[in-house]
Amino acid sequence: MAGIQNLKGLAKAEKYYTDYGTRAKELRAQGNRVIGYISALSPVEILTASGVVPFRLKGNVEEAITKGDAYMETIVCPFVRNVFDSAIKGKFHFIDGMVLPHQCDSLDRTSDIWRDYLNLSYFHFLNVPHVTDEPSIEFMKEILRLFISTIEDFTGNKITVDSLKKAISLHNENRRLMRSLYDLRKSNPPLITGSEMMKVLVAAMGLPVYESIELIKEIIEDVKGRKPLTDGQRKRIMLIGDQIDSVIITDTIEKAGAYLVMDDISIGSKMYWQDVDEDKEPILALAERYLRKLKIPTTFVDTGGTYEENLNARFGHMRKYIEEFNVEGAILFIYKYCDPYGFEVPAIKSYIEAVAVDVLYLEDEYSISSLARMKTRIEAFLEMIA
Amino acid sequence: MKRYFAGVDIGSTMTKVVIFSDRIEATIIGPTGPEHRKLANKVMEEALNLAQIRFENLSYIIATGYGRINVPFADRQITEITCHAKGLHSLLPTVKTIVDIGGQDSKGIKIKDGKVVSFVMNDKCAAGTGRFIEIMADSIGVPLEDMGIISLTAEKAAPISSTCTVFAEHEIINKLASGETIPNLIAGIHESVATRVSAMVKKLTIEQDVAVTGGGAKNIGLVKALEKKLGCSIIVPPEPLITGALGASVLAKEIFEKYEREGQMPVRSSCGLQEAKIFS
Repeated sequence: MAGIQNLKGLAKAEKYYTDYGTRAKELRAQGNRVIGYISALSPVEILTASGVVPFRLKGNVEEAITKGDAYMETIVCPFVRNVFDSAIKGKFHFIDGMVLPHQCDSLDRTSDIWRDYLNLSYFHFLNVPHVTDEPSIEFMKEILRLFISTIEDFTGNKITVDSLKKAISLHNENRRLMRSLYDLRKSNPPLITGSEMMKVLVAAMGLPVYESIELIKEIIEDVKGRKPLTDGQRKRIMLIGDQIDSVIITDTIEKAGAYLVMDDISIGSKMYWQDVDEDKEPILALAERYLRKLKIPTTFVDTGGTYEENLNARFGHMRKYIEEFNVEGAILFIYKYCDPYGFEVPAIKSYIEAVAVDVLYLEDEYSISSLARMKTRIEAFLEMIA
Repeated sequence: MKRYFAGVDIGSTMTKVVIFSDRIEATIIGPTGPEHRKLANKVMEEALNLAQIRFENLSYIIATGYGRINVPFADRQITEITCHAKGLHSLLPTVKTIVDIGGQDSKGIKIKDGKVVSFVMNDKCAAGTGRFIEIMADSIGVPLEDMGIISLTAEKAAPISSTCTVFAEHEIINKLASGETIPNLIAGIHESVATRVSAMVKKLTIEQDVAVTGGGAKNIGLVKALEKKLGCSIIVPPEPLITGALGASVLAKEIFEKYEREGQMPVRSSCGLQEAKIFS
């Protein structure tokens, strides 16, 4: 383990990616408490302010579900099942507790299974509303306060306005740095590959925020001095989806002959694109960030305006990414039984195609079992837009 | 001097090779089979013999199909989707929608000016593929190639409600036991596949002309069932199995000539006519 501490930048991210959870395990052994979370809808600022290590749970696409199916029906999202399978097999033995948001049915309806079978010292169901109007913001503030009080009870540490503000500022800094790293993908060719970026994103979500900040700084230094490799004209692709956390999918896209230059995925831009307003009262600022700024399909956005205005409110960020990152094709990769995304597919597809960017829609398991078939589709798509 | 190009299409069930100059010089169709999977070189040799040329006479070779990476002597790999569109367009330029029913895949491809504009493929389930019909043929004891013609004598298609291949097999055996006629059963099998395939292809806006390719196109009963489901007539090319390999050979020619126009030499595979070492 001491070896990792001597690594820097991308090499360190690679190691954290491969041995996911290594650092959280070490910090736990040093007496820190580790709290697991599972989606972009978890206010990590509150965890940081309480002094615990926030640790995002992930599954392993290369590992078959062997125990989890005894607890969860197979119509549950394959990602959720896979993560639970890892948890029930004891792979997250170092976590003290977890927070699970009210988000999709696969999370909501299995929250009792997580709570009852993992037997963690701390478990909190964060009852996030799904609409974004004023009463919902008030409700969101209340549930954030409730979350704060439970985590305070668990840790014995009081979360003050100051500690919360400090945590917010740290997470904003982390986001700003990650966005600077994303900026290095804007050149053609990009200075950092999609698979390298995937490793950075996964490494970062397993670290306390101050360590993530240091890591991203090192990586920016590593990457910005690179001379772009020119190996022919490749199409610039954006990956859209939910819990995509493996380089297998990014490798598949890049080895088929494309540059993966941007994403709209849960562990990627969704985590890093919207800051928490530091000029506002922190609870309100957090409520607004997670309920209104964060663009996720489980949040129902109705501007009260036209259909077009609603589409802009829901997916406008994707058109912005297309413009800023010069995206030439989009891959919309959805897990089977993901109904929040499933409902969005036709709208996302037509919204992006309306700006003359082709979209490949793929639906698959959280598994590599059908990789060859995915490859054929991705290659055919790249041949089509060539 | 005449130039020759080759397209090699390794499907899950059949391996197809087309040798092309400015016309089709030779076509070979052979089984892929477990032991043949790495022996694309053997099928290529047969095609070369038929065309009466040597391997060295080939200017450029493209491999396609799910086994395209197992052709060490190919200069480039291109997916079957692009190749089917190209091959079919070269035969039947009026076709705008292709339905391909292969052994392991079925797909819908929309083409405009010979280029793919959109496509859909079945998911990893065998329902809606040639394999489904193959398994059912086996369980009722009818040779695969007779399925089409026998189904035309059906009085009424026996409905098969299971889309899962394993459950459908049970269903068919039960129906057989309770006295359903073989032609009615086969018609039901075709209807089941046609329903799956047409639902998938309808995700693309279907434009006529519509053509069907792949092994499924050789089954007249399936084609008729598909016409009914899609609500339009379907063109079956003279040899529906070779469109992928043909497209690959036409693309080989186009790519080679593009390099030539730009005054460059295409990068060729360094392997001779040898079998694949990696078995995947």
